[in-house]
Amino acid sequence: MEEFALLNRRGFIKRSLLLGAASVVGTLPAFATAKGDFRLTILHTNDVHSRIEPFPLDGSRYAGMGGVARRSALIQKIRGEEKSVLLVDSGDMFQGTPYFNMFGGKLELELMSKLGYEAGTFGNHEFDNGIAGLVKYLGKATFPFLTANYDFRGTLLEGKTKDYTIINKNGIRIGLTGVGIDIEGLVDPKSYEGMKYLDPIPVVNRIAKMLKEDKKCDLVICLSHLGYKYDDDKISDLKLAAQIRHVDIILGGHTHTFLDEPARVEDLDGHEVVIHQVGFAGIRLGRLDVILNKNTGKKQILARNYTVDQRYDKQVMA
Amino acid sequence: MGSSIRWASFLVSAALLVSCKTQLQPTVNKVQYYQIDANYSIDSAIVKYYSPYKIQLESEMNRVIGFSDAHLTKTREAESLAANFFTDALLWKGQQLDPAVQVSFATKGGIRSDLKAGNITVGNIFEIMPFENSVTVLTLSGKDMLRWADYMARTGGQPASGIKLLIENKKVKEFLVQGKPIDPNQTYKLVTYDYLANGGDYVDFLDQVLDRKDYTQRIRESLMEYVSELTKQGKHIQATIDGRVRIIE
Repeated sequence: MEEFALLNRRGFIKRSLLLGAASVVGTLPAFATAKGDFRLTILHTNDVHSRIEPFPLDGSRYAGMGGVARRSALIQKIRGEEKSVLLVDSGDMFQGTPYFNMFGGKLELELMSKLGYEAGTFGNHEFDNGIAGLVKYLGKATFPFLTANYDFRGTLLEGKTKDYTIINKNGIRIGLTGVGIDIEGLVDPKSYEGMKYLDPIPVVNRIAKMLKEDKKCDLVICLSHLGYKYDDDKISDLKLAAQIRHVDIILGGHTHTFLDEPARVEDLDGHEVVIHQVGFAGIRLGRLDVILNKNTGKKQILARNYTVDQRYDKQVMA
Repeated sequence: MGSSIRWASFLVSAALLVSCKTQLQPTVNKVQYYQIDANYSIDSAIVKYYSPYKIQLESEMNRVIGFSDAHLTKTREAESLAANFFTDALLWKGQQLDPAVQVSFATKGGIRSDLKAGNITVGNIFEIMPFENSVTVLTLSGKDMLRWADYMARTGGQPASGIKLLIENKKVKEFLVQGKPIDPNQTYKLVTYDYLANGGDYVDFLDQVLDRKDYTQRIRESLMEYVSELTKQGKHIQATIDGRVRIIE
């Protein structure tokens, strides 16, 4: 299903490029800008799964796609174009290539720091080498991990993660929190011994209210590794959004969902929460452009995705 | 240019306009593409940074840990060389962890590649077993051992070691464990991996196990240790089709 959508899109884009390659330009869609408008560009990944290098060119589904060096170039380009860029990840940075088996996550965290990630959350695979294995290289990350519904008291991770963080971008206050999936059944119990999972709904409600009302954040973002959607009653991003207040954006992960457009869900107050997720393995880089108007309190969110593939190797291939 | 266009699947998806507060502006949907000869490249600083890791990784993946006399193919047949290698290694590890283990079990779908003849590298073992599954030892009743045999019979045979299974018309004709028929009053220990013990790959006969022990030892590490152990003993991998699972035509 995902593959089908992706291939169709790729085919469509190829045709479009053939028809009018010279006429297209790499600028943003036109925004009606007003006095007092402020633009924030949010870039995000999820479930990168240790995909340091692009998928090998072996004819498989995602052959040649992804790669940290390309993502870095793309992020740098966007940072050069936009005044305020925020870069975050929604978990499962680890496991999926031998880089993790060999280096235990050190390289993933070092590279994310080099790329300038500003916040992340934990996916279930972050625990694959146990809490001790996770703590071992956590210091390599120059950015905080937001794990509001994981209680690490009494474990090696106590005090090493945060419930929330506030980032100031040119006078705009962005409040961020993060929640993870119930890892019981997903992870070897020994690997998370001592950790307590808390229901994300009250946790997010408490923190988001505090961020918006007490800390006066202009925008509240929740990084989530809960998963986009399930067939059963399990908590998902869609369910979370409907049962909370004060969150503007949920950036998700876990279900490896390729959303071509973000979902919009009404929260308890009838406000729209924007939910986005960009597949896995760094094949895509998500982008949300948020327009905030300080005078009117109005917010607009514009989304797009980047597919990271050989496109970024042009100069090397030439 | 033609090939550049072919490569250019870079995309920027549909623009979407949303308002989080009241007073929605008219929605503007505009699909936009980036020109293929726009000035992007890979970030060579990042490549440079991970290069030493890549070199170390590749030297590890290329590290020779053993030798196989034959090309071990994985097939859909009742028995295959790759399946016999895999389950013999699994039984070896299972008996190391628990000497009471008598049989091992995997599925055809879980064995992901052939093992070529000649030098066997760490990378080759990653190819045959890319998953992060770990060793699980289960205690089964004699009755459930027979359910296991039925599962293998109706699915055309599955990778196993420590058994002899004759199948006729998708039914069990003969089933021996370590050379003996099943005693319904006895219990047996079977080594497999967590994924199958959890009911993966349509395994439906492990719902009444008497005891379960999950080890942190990964299957891939077990295969590597098995090959390294053979090498240490001056031996090659010598998997054969020995008739452990056979379908009577």
